[in-house]
Amino acid sequence: MAKIIVITSGKGGVGKTTTTAALGAGLALRGKRTVVIDFDVGLRNLDMIMGCERRVVFDFINVIQGDAKLGQALIKDRRLENLSVLPTSQTRDKDALTREGVEKVLEELRNDFDYVICDSPAGIERGAHLAMYFADEAVVVTNPEVSSVRDSDRVLGLLSSKTRRAELGEDPVKPHLLLTRYDLGRVARGDMMKVEDILEILSIPLLGIIPESPTVLSASNVGTPVVLNESSNAGAAYADAVSRLMGEQIEMRVLGPERRGLLQRLRWRTA
Amino acid sequence: MTQSQHADVGGGSSGSRSRRTATAPFQVRGRFFTAIVLQVAGAPEGEFYRTLDTVLAQAPHFFTNAPFVLDLDQATGIGPSFDFTGLARELRKRKVTLIGVQNGTIEQNRAALTAGLITLQGGNDLPPDRTTSDGAAAEEDDPASRALLVTHPVRSGQRVFSDMGDLVVVASVSPGAELIARGNIHVYGRMRGRALAGVNGDSTARIFCQSLEAELIAIAGLYRTSDEMDASLRSQRIQAFLDEGALRIEPLK
Repeated sequence: MAKIIVITSGKGGVGKTTTTAALGAGLALRGKRTVVIDFDVGLRNLDMIMGCERRVVFDFINVIQGDAKLGQALIKDRRLENLSVLPTSQTRDKDALTREGVEKVLEELRNDFDYVICDSPAGIERGAHLAMYFADEAVVVTNPEVSSVRDSDRVLGLLSSKTRRAELGEDPVKPHLLLTRYDLGRVARGDMMKVEDILEILSIPLLGIIPESPTVLSASNVGTPVVLNESSNAGAAYADAVSRLMGEQIEMRVLGPERRGLLQRLRWRTA
Repeated sequence: MTQSQHADVGGGSSGSRSRRTATAPFQVRGRFFTAIVLQVAGAPEGEFYRTLDTVLAQAPHFFTNAPFVLDLDQATGIGPSFDFTGLARELRKRKVTLIGVQNGTIEQNRAALTAGLITLQGGNDLPPDRTTSDGAAAEEDDPASRALLVTHPVRSGQRVFSDMGDLVVVASVSPGAELIARGNIHVYGRMRGRALAGVNGDSTARIFCQSLEAELIAIAGLYRTSDEMDASLRSQRIQAFLDEGALRIEPLK
């Protein structure tokens, strides 16, 4: 039986889709059968970040509405045999998502996979609500700045009240904090919030700290999850986060951006 | 002297613009009251009145001045032509005042409305021990005896409401969260949201917090925003209370 994990934040643009791709690929690398689902109907991105946008025939909405079977919509990742992607529709919008439809798809996926990762859209409306409703665990992606922390706090409130686990009085959705776009220099200068301050406000366990890194943009440009980039500090941080998600105790290291190599620095100067 | 064109609660009529004066004829406020609900099994007749008389005799003061509501959910014998006026009169003879009905059919509601009763929606049940007829006085319980205890952080956007008395939070309260209580509010953590105490008009209510970082605090309707709070009080242990109609915030030693 799979664990359903929602990647949510409230705030937009903090790195939910990047995180979904990285954690999904990371878990697959560790031998877990993983599927990543895009819940951002109408503004889909997950298929691009995963590099399979040219292979999309049927999508999540087609399956919900009975126009296609789940097997027809699932796209197997070409690099990792344990990883599959369920893309969403670009032409429809969130009204096409129904609770019964989502439940049915998740039930089917539960049997065939170890981890089901749901990429939530930003906001707290229908799409975000349905992405979190059936979750067992949640990764709350937060940037170290005030409005992102405020929105994450709001989302934590919703996770503890507007999910099936909360409504049925079961064990609550287990929250994890993932700090992204963490810039050591800006934290030192006081422009960005410190980890301790964020933890004091949000009071949930810290899953990882992902440094701000140009490799994240490169990864999305080529459609490869950043965790597969071995020279990326962000990728290494995501790999640590995957280990912690699987229950391992890894010491938290706060990495900076990659140092430019000597050759790169010479090239920069002569250009 | 020009006539003012719009209906204004204030009374001033001098000049071309009427001003809202401080002495308005009335103020509109929302308030919670407790009503006693009688769930009737059929049309009130002899048996009903005999039983009612027995109950009233056991606790004569408990029911005086309490508003009564008739729950018609199981009332099969009450039709559209039922004499609600007569029922209200019979109850008044017993010093019981019927104000409305609940869970009635459309015909039952219509008959009730004709008799001057209102139809009520919703309502929350009180815990059973509140309605024991052991001669308890009709005064409300001491608010401090019914404290609502919260031990988890109150997240942004969440609202905690203690309608019975005090509210005690043993955790922090995030910005954008709201604490509302009929009685006092205690926050043993960082108070960053809004706290509204004494919402039913209890001007003796107080707010206590371990670290004042609140966006707004209010007691019985009088409020102060973070902007208007003294900077020296920020992050301090404080209590807030009303003193001769003014909201005071003072550090706790």
